[in-house]
Amino acid sequence: MQDNNKVKEYDALVIGAGIAGGEAALNLANVGNRVLLIDKDLTVGGKMIMLSKVFPTLDCSACITTPKVSEIARHSLITTLTSTEASDIVQKDNGTFEALITTQPRYVHIEDCTGCQLCEEACPVNVEDEYQYGLVGRKAAFIPFSIASPRAAAIDIENCTLCGACERACPTNCIDFTQTVEKFMIECKTVIVATGFQLFDPTLIPRYGYGRFKNVITSMQMERQLAPTRPFNTVLRPSDGKIPDNIAYVLCTGSRDKTVGTPICSQVCCMYSTKQAQLLMGALPMADITLYFLHIRAFGKGFNEFYAQAQSMGVEYVKGKVAKITEKEDGNLILRYEDISTGKVTETEHDMVVLSVGILPNQGITGLFKNRKLELDQFNYISQSNPLESPATTSIKGVFVAGVASAPMDIPDSILSAGAASSEAANYIRQLSVKQVEV
Amino acid sequence: MKSKIGVYICHCGGNISDYVDVNKVRESVKEIQGVEISIDTMFACADSSQKQIAEDIANKKLDALVVASCSPKLHYPTFSAVAERGGLNKYNYVHANIREQVSWAHSDNKEGATEKAIKVVKSAIARVKESVPLEPIEVKAQKSIAVLGAGVAGMRAAKELADLGIQVYLIEREHFVGGRISQLDFLCGADITGKELVTQLYEKIHKHPNVTLFTGAEVIEKGGSIGNFKVKVKITPRYIKDECNPEQLQKAIDVCPVEVEDDFNFNITKRKAIYRNYDSEYPHFPTIDSKNCTRCGECEKVCSSIDFTQKEEIIDLTVGSILAATGFDPYQPKENEFGWGIENVVTLPQFRRIINMCDNKLIYKGKEIKDIAYIYCVGSRQVEGDNKYCSRYCCTATLYTSILTHKKYKGIHSFHFNRGIRTYGKQEVIYDEASRLGDIFLQSYEYDPPVVTKVNGKTNVKIEDLLTGGKEIEVNADLVVLVTGMEPRNDCSIGDVLKIPKGRDRFYNEIHMKLRPVETVIDGVTIAGACQGPKNIMESMNSALSAAAKSYSIVNKGELALEPIIAKVDKDTCVWCGKCAEACPFDAITKVNANGKEIAEINASVCKGCGMCLPVCESDSIDMDGFTNTEIESMINVLAEN
Ligand SMILES: Cc1cc2nc3c(=O)[nH]c(=O)nc-3n(C[C@H](O)[C@H](O)[C@H](O)COP(=O)(O)OP(=O)(O)OC[C@H]3O[C@@H](n4cnc5c(N)ncnc54)[C@H](O)[C@@H]3O)c2cc1C
Ligand code: SF4
Ligand code: SF4
Repeated sequence: MQDNNKVKEYDALVIGAGIAGGEAALNLANVGNRVLLIDKDLTVGGKMIMLSKVFPTLDCSACITTPKVSEIARHSLITTLTSTEASDIVQKDNGTFEALITTQPRYVHIEDCTGCQLCEEACPVNVEDEYQYGLVGRKAAFIPFSIASPRAAAIDIENCTLCGACERACPTNCIDFTQTVEKFMIECKTVIVATGFQLFDPTLIPRYGYGRFKNVITSMQMERQLAPTRPFNTVLRPSDGKIPDNIAYVLCTGSRDKTVGTPICSQVCCMYSTKQAQLLMGALPMADITLYFLHIRAFGKGFNEFYAQAQSMGVEYVKGKVAKITEKEDGNLILRYEDISTGKVTETEHDMVVLSVGILPNQGITGLFKNRKLELDQFNYISQSNPLESPATTSIKGVFVAGVASAPMDIPDSILSAGAASSEAANYIRQLSVKQVEV
Repeated sequence: MKSKIGVYICHCGGNISDYVDVNKVRESVKEIQGVEISIDTMFACADSSQKQIAEDIANKKLDALVVASCSPKLHYPTFSAVAERGGLNKYNYVHANIREQVSWAHSDNKEGATEKAIKVVKSAIARVKESVPLEPIEVKAQKSIAVLGAGVAGMRAAKELADLGIQVYLIEREHFVGGRISQLDFLCGADITGKELVTQLYEKIHKHPNVTLFTGAEVIEKGGSIGNFKVKVKITPRYIKDECNPEQLQKAIDVCPVEVEDDFNFNITKRKAIYRNYDSEYPHFPTIDSKNCTRCGECEKVCSSIDFTQKEEIIDLTVGSILAATGFDPYQPKENEFGWGIENVVTLPQFRRIINMCDNKLIYKGKEIKDIAYIYCVGSRQVEGDNKYCSRYCCTATLYTSILTHKKYKGIHSFHFNRGIRTYGKQEVIYDEASRLGDIFLQSYEYDPPVVTKVNGKTNVKIEDLLTGGKEIEVNADLVVLVTGMEPRNDCSIGDVLKIPKGRDRFYNEIHMKLRPVETVIDGVTIAGACQGPKNIMESMNSALSAAAKSYSIVNKGELALEPIIAKVDKDTCVWCGKCAEACPFDAITKVNANGKEIAEINASVCKGCGMCLPVCESDSIDMDGFTNTEIESMINVLAEN
C-alpha cells in the first residue's frame, strides 16, 4: 500500500515498461539511480513478451524477455507499478519534475497472490482474452498469461458480476473488492517516455474483410498461435479449426497507405512476416506460404540473409498490392491483386489470410505534461528535437524518449534507443546535482 | 559432497517438452542419491518460478542446484543469481542444456531425445555433487575509458562519458577527426552539414577537461582485463609544431611540389603531401603525409611551424573499459563492375563530392550532367560476391541525393535502377518526394542485374525491368552513379588487437543481436556505430550512447567483481617446463621462485579460465576452479554408464 500523503522521490520516472522502458530503467538503476517504472497494463514486458520468436535470430521471445523482466522486478533500485499511469507532470524551475501517479485497482493484493489460478476456475464469466488477441476466451478473474510479471490474478471489473465465487475460492484471501484508485505525487529529476505503439485496426480497411471473414486474422494473432504459450498448441484457422495449408500474408496493411493516414513504413512487418513464414514452414511442413508485398524491407543486420533463407525454404514472395479479399462458402479466401512481375490482375485462393498490420503511435502522451509542451512530429510520434546528435532528446529538457514512442523500430533498435535515453537521462541527473540547469 | 540437491526441469513452454518427455526425466532422476527434490516447470526463467526455486533453497535447506533448461549462454546468469538469492553459493549451481543440445537437436526422435536429456541431467547432478563454493575476485576498476575512433559515434560517446565524469582517451588513427561524416556535405533529415556536425561535436570535446584526444594514433597492443586494460598507443608524428602559424602553413601547402590523389575527395581531385582535407577541419593545422613526402624541404623554407625532427611515440594507458567506434569503408567497385572504369561512372560518395563542388551547373569532367542513372546495391546484396547483407543507409541516401540535385540544378532526370527500394520507417516520405519529382524507378530481377556499357560514345544502362513485367529498357546516361554500400574496414587490425569476433558479414559481432547489441564477448569492450553493421547517423548515435552507458556501468563504481573460474597451479608437483605459459593466450602465467624451486604462477586478474594451459601440463599440475578434474570426471562416468 502506498502512503498517500508523502511525496515520493525518485531520480527517474520511466513511463511504459516494454522492452525499451525496461532497458532504460535497468541502465539507470545499474549506475545507482532510483527509478519508478510504470505501465498502464497489468503486466510489464510490453509487446515483446507476447511475441513468438524474434527475427532474425529466431530466439524464443519469452525466453529472452523473461530474464530482463525478472531482473527489473528484483532490482533494489527499481520500483515497478502496473495498472499505473502518470499525469499532470510539471517541470519546476530547478529542472526537476513533479507528477501525479494513478494506480487503478486490480482487486487483488499482488503480494499475497500465489498465482494458483483457483479464482480463474471458480469464475463463471467468459470474455474474449485480449492477451491472446481474441483467439480464445478468459475469465473475469484471471492471470493475464503464464509469464506475466507480476504473475498475479486481476479482476476485470467491467465484466465481473460480483458473484463472489473467486473470493471464496482464493486460498490466501488476496481478492479485495474494496480496493480503490490510488493517487500519489512523486518528485523526480528526469522522465523517460517509452510508451511504445498500438497496432493498426484492420477493420478500417473494409475490403480486407477483417472482422467479417473468420479466416482473416492479424499478424499479432498469428504471433500468439506460434508462441510457446500458444492457445491451441498448433496453428488453426478460426472458422472450422482446420489446420491451414495455404496461408497468405498481406503486407503493408495500414502502412504506406495515405488513405488510412499512415504514409510511412512500419519497419518491422516485412521481417516479422518473413519470420512467421519460416516458423509456419516448421510447424506445418506441408503448408504453402505466400507473402504479397510492395518492397521487402530487409535492411538490418542479418535481415537480408534471413529473407534469402525464407526464399530458399520455399516461402513464395509475390510483388503486388492486394486490392480486395472475398470469402468463399467454405471459408477460403480469394485475393485479388496486380502481380507486378506479370503486369496482370490476378486472383488466388488461400485458406487463411494474415494481415501484416502496421505500427501506430500511442495517443495522448502530450496530455500527460502540464506546463511544458511535448511536441509530436508530423506522424504523431514524439518529436526528436536533435535527431542526429542526441536522438533521445525531446522538446522538453530533461524528458527523453525511448523505443517505438519516437518511431517504428524493432527490438535491437529499441534497445539502442533506450540506451541513448538512459545515457542522456543519467547525464541530466548529474547536471542537476552539480549545477543549476536552464529550462 | 552435496547431499541436498534441488533439480528443476523446464518445459520451456513446449520448446523442450514437445520433444523431451519431461515427466520421465524428472522421475528418472528423483531417486538419485543426494537429490532432495526434482520438479518440472513450464518456464523456469519466469519470475514466479525463480521465486519458487529461491524459496525452495531457503526452506528446504538445499545445498546445491541443477536447472535443466536452455543454453547456459541465455540463462546461466539467471539461475546462478537465483541460487544466490536462495542463499547458495552460485558455484554450487550447475546448468544442464536440454534445449539447444537436446530437444532442438533431436526433434525427429522423441525417445532418443528423452534418453539423452536424462543423461545430461544425471551428469549435471554428478558434477554439482562435487562442486565447491567460490568467491568472486574483487578488483579496482579504472575510472577511465579508451574510445577508439573519433568519427561522430566516437566523439559523441566521448562527450557523454566525459560529462559523466569519466576520463576519456579518444584515439583517432587519422590526423583529423570526423571520420566519414565530414565527407558528407548534406545530411538526410537535418538542416546542418556533416562538417557542421563534426564541428559541433569537436567543440564539445576539444576543451572538455575530461577528454584527451590523440590523432594519428592507434592502439597496437591490449593487455590486462576488464577494469584494468593496459593499452599501448602508437602516435605517429604530424611534423607540425603545436604552436603553429596558420598563414605560413598555407604558404607551405602552396609550395609543396608533390601532388597525389586526394582520397578525402575519393580521388576526384589532387592534394599536396602537406595537406588538410578542408579548411575548417579539426584539429586546425595540416599534417605531412610521410608516405608521399619527398623531404625536399620546400615547406620548411617558408614555414617555421614544420618540424621534421618529430618522432613516433609509444604511450601506455590503463583504462577500465574500451569502446570501439572504428566505422566502415565505402565499397570499392571492382574493375568492370557495373561499368566501373568508364570515365563517367562514379560512386555515390564521389558523386556527393562532385555536387559539393558544382554550384549552378552539375559538371563532371567538363561535361554538363542532365541524365543520371543510379545503380543500387553495388557491393551489397551480392548474388555472386560475399556481401549478402543490405547496407541499410543507401536507398535513402540516394533518393535524398537525387532530390537535392533537382533542387540545386535545372533539368535533371534521374533513373533509379534499384532492387526494391528500402526506405524503411519515416524515410518513406523521401521515396515519396523523389517519386513526385518525376524520378523514374526501374527494378532488376534478383539474378539479372543491369548492364552498363559504352556504345558510340554514350554510356548506356540496360535492364530487364520487373516493374513493367520484364520489358527490356535502356537509358543513355550522362553520369552513372554506383550506389556503393558499406563494408567493414579493410584494415581491421584493431579488431584483432582487441580480439573482437566478426560475423559472417565480417562486421564486429555483438554478444546478443537482439538484446545486447553493443556489448562483445570480450568483457569490458563495447562496440558502437557502423563497425558493428551498417547504420545511418542517428542509428550510430543511438548505439554510441548505448555503448557509453554500458562502458560507464563497468567503471563507474570504481570496483568490479570478477569470475573466480581460473586455473590454479599445484606448487608441489609443478616443475616449470614453461609449456603452460606458451599456451596461455592472455599472458597470465609467469615463472616465479618458490622456496628455491621454479614454478608457474597464474595472475588471477588476468586469467580468463579458458583452460588452454590444462592439457599441455605434463605433470598434471593445473586444475580449474569451477571445472575441476573431479567434477568433469564425475560427469564422464555418468555419461559412459550403460
Ligand atoms: C506482430 C509483430 C511481430 C514483431 N516481431 C518482432 C521480431 O520478431 N523481432 C523484433 O525485433 N521486433 C519485432 N516486433 C517489433 C517489437 O514488438 C517492437 O520493436 C518492441 O516491442 C518495441 O518495444 P517498446 O518498448 O518500444 O514498445 P511496447 O512493447 O509497445 O511497450 C510500451 C509499453 O508502454 C505501456 N504504455 C503505453 N502508454 C502508457 C502510458 N500512458 N502510461 C503507462 N504505460 C504506458 C504499454 O502498456 C506497453 O507495455 C514485432 C512487432 C509486431 C507488431
Ligand atoms: S516493413 Fe514491409 S510490410 Fe511493413 S510497412 Fe514497411 S514495407 Fe510494408
Ligand atoms: S539500402 Fe537499398 S541500395 Fe543499400 S543495399 Fe539495401 S537495398 Fe541496396
